[in-house]
Amino acid sequence: MRISDYIEQSFSNLWKKKLRTILTIFGVMIGIGALVSMFSFGQGIQDNITNTFNELQLFNYVSVYPRSENNQRIPHSEDPNSPEQVNSHSQILDDAFIQYVTEIEGVESAFPEVRFPAMVRFDEEEKFSLVQVLPADICQSGLMKLRAGQPYTPEDANALIISDSLLRRMKVKEPETVIGQQIEISTLTVDFSLSNIPNIVTFLRGKGLPFSRESYQFTIVGVTEKMGFAGPMPARSDVFIMPAESENMKKLSLTSIWDLFQSSQQAKGYSMVNIKVASTKYIEAVKEKMEDRGFRTFALVDHLEEIKTGFIFLNMFLFAVGMIAITVAALGIINTMVMSILERYKEIGIMKAVGASDGDVKKIFLFESGAIGFLGGVLGLALGWLVSMLINQIINYFMVKQGAPHMDYFSFRWWLCMGAILFSILISLGAGIYPTMRAARVDPVVALRHD
Amino acid sequence: MISDPFIKTENLTRIYSSGTIKVTAIKDVTLSLDQGQFFGITGASGSGKSTLMNLLAGLDRPSSGSIRVQGKLISELDKDELALYRRYQVGMIFQSFNLVSSYTALENVAFPLLFAGVTKKERNKRAEQMLEKVGLYPRKDHRPSELSGGEQQRTAIARALINHPKILLADEPTGNLDSKTSRQIVQTLSDLNTKQGITVIMISHEEFLLDEFADDIIHLQDGKVIQEERIR
Repeated sequence: MRISDYIEQSFSNLWKKKLRTILTIFGVMIGIGALVSMFSFGQGIQDNITNTFNELQLFNYVSVYPRSENNQRIPHSEDPNSPEQVNSHSQILDDAFIQYVTEIEGVESAFPEVRFPAMVRFDEEEKFSLVQVLPADICQSGLMKLRAGQPYTPEDANALIISDSLLRRMKVKEPETVIGQQIEISTLTVDFSLSNIPNIVTFLRGKGLPFSRESYQFTIVGVTEKMGFAGPMPARSDVFIMPAESENMKKLSLTSIWDLFQSSQQAKGYSMVNIKVASTKYIEAVKEKMEDRGFRTFALVDHLEEIKTGFIFLNMFLFAVGMIAITVAALGIINTMVMSILERYKEIGIMKAVGASDGDVKKIFLFESGAIGFLGGVLGLALGWLVSMLINQIINYFMVKQGAPHMDYFSFRWWLCMGAILFSILISLGAGIYPTMRAARVDPVVALRHD
Repeated sequence: MISDPFIKTENLTRIYSSGTIKVTAIKDVTLSLDQGQFFGITGASGSGKSTLMNLLAGLDRPSSGSIRVQGKLISELDKDELALYRRYQVGMIFQSFNLVSSYTALENVAFPLLFAGVTKKERNKRAEQMLEKVGLYPRKDHRPSELSGGEQQRTAIARALINHPKILLADEPTGNLDSKTSRQIVQTLSDLNTKQGITVIMISHEEFLLDEFADDIIHLQDGKVIQEERIR
């Protein structure tokens, strides 16, 4: 028999039992659809995380913190002087430290984590946000993905970069339109000076904190895409400005209410310094130097293996769920094929009587199961894609509302699509083995015996 | 030395066993047929006619004894060789026609060519010619359920002949037909025998048909040949 005849025969035989074929294919379709959307979800998350990390060169960063902040806050009772000891000179993250770090081999730059609260006012809308101070070279290094505009350069005066999610909260839909526009940043300062007496009085009366506002004008030069996930990232704010501007601003340098209580007793210094190295091969040496000096370090690259293992487990879990659906579909195929063979018992006898070999009979039925698998695979892929797109739309609808950027949570690679169809065919062929054996074993003498 | 007969069976025995019970369907049947004969087999139900037919068709294997066709030991062929034997050497027709009900007459006639690896175009061409010969060309797109008994049997004959076999095996071909149609069908088989030299082996319990058309008739009873008669 010719291959083209096997294919034609299988499809025409399946078409003769439309309802049963459609139901069986539907089962395969659901199984493959589930598998495909789950795999593409696993892949999508992986792409989003690892690729974004790579793109932003996040694996090239080391964060340095002072050792054990808890010790500073809660001194041991036996040794009340421990905070002072911990805060020995070498352990302060100050400008001198940064200067020292930048001279280490492989270090491209180092910048302190400086963030302060501020009110951001743009086009009649005012929102609270944390402003982060980020050097221009880091901004240009590709750490930030810009949706519009350019990274700022040291020549830009009063330049500011804002995240698209903050813009969205401020009801700006087109990020391109804000480039070059003025934006107002109002910092809060605790001011106990004489000029602020009215505020202090209201504070003392219990009617508010003695804060005063200082407003500064900035020009928006760029709009960043905010990451869809939180994490230990060197850039994690909605508003970025350069250090030069920051120095001229009156502000509370705190990121949380705790800083307010700590700031007085803590030695001067940054809470964290981010170091960017030229390549991941310098990470270990830099970390070692920092730890020798008594700092804690964090490098994302150390967690790469953990992240990868995590993805393997995620994919395995999704695969297991998909396989359950596939197993059910395979049982459906076996059922359908056995039914089909029982119904066509006499036809198999005729085939053999007119000269079909056992191999011919086997192939006829294997091609039929394969055809179910092929159709189920193609339709399942389509279903999986459709469902994924729908879920993606729904997730994004809610995530974007919450200020997260639009992201593709599903990734359809060509190998996933091809693999899904191939896998579906293989599973169906596997499911067809037992019915096919039965078909080949049909005794023509019995099958053709007239009733 | 006398040349081998066209078909020769020696001590052909077929025993069916279901569990501990053994049923001897045919026992020690020794026959020899010449090419171009019209050979009749008759006997009561359960006399072993169909078993003999299935053995000659290569659908079943003897428990002992041998079958030779043109000197070739059919009873010793493996499964695939038997399939080739059925495909090219023999054509079969049955009492219940055994057409594929979901196929049209044309598709049924072309069916054996599928396994012979003939292209679809060629299959259809040859099947149309064959239907033309049995006078059913106008009915080629009808399914068996839309054909009369006689038409169905003629379709089956066309199918049996599509691969130009040398032997045509007919197992009670008239069993489901009225007497007039029965005569026509047997006449058709007789014509194939006389005009094309096809060796026809026909089972029938309608002895008058065999008396009229067959060259040789054997009578089976309880799996044994009890009488051989040469008509002409």
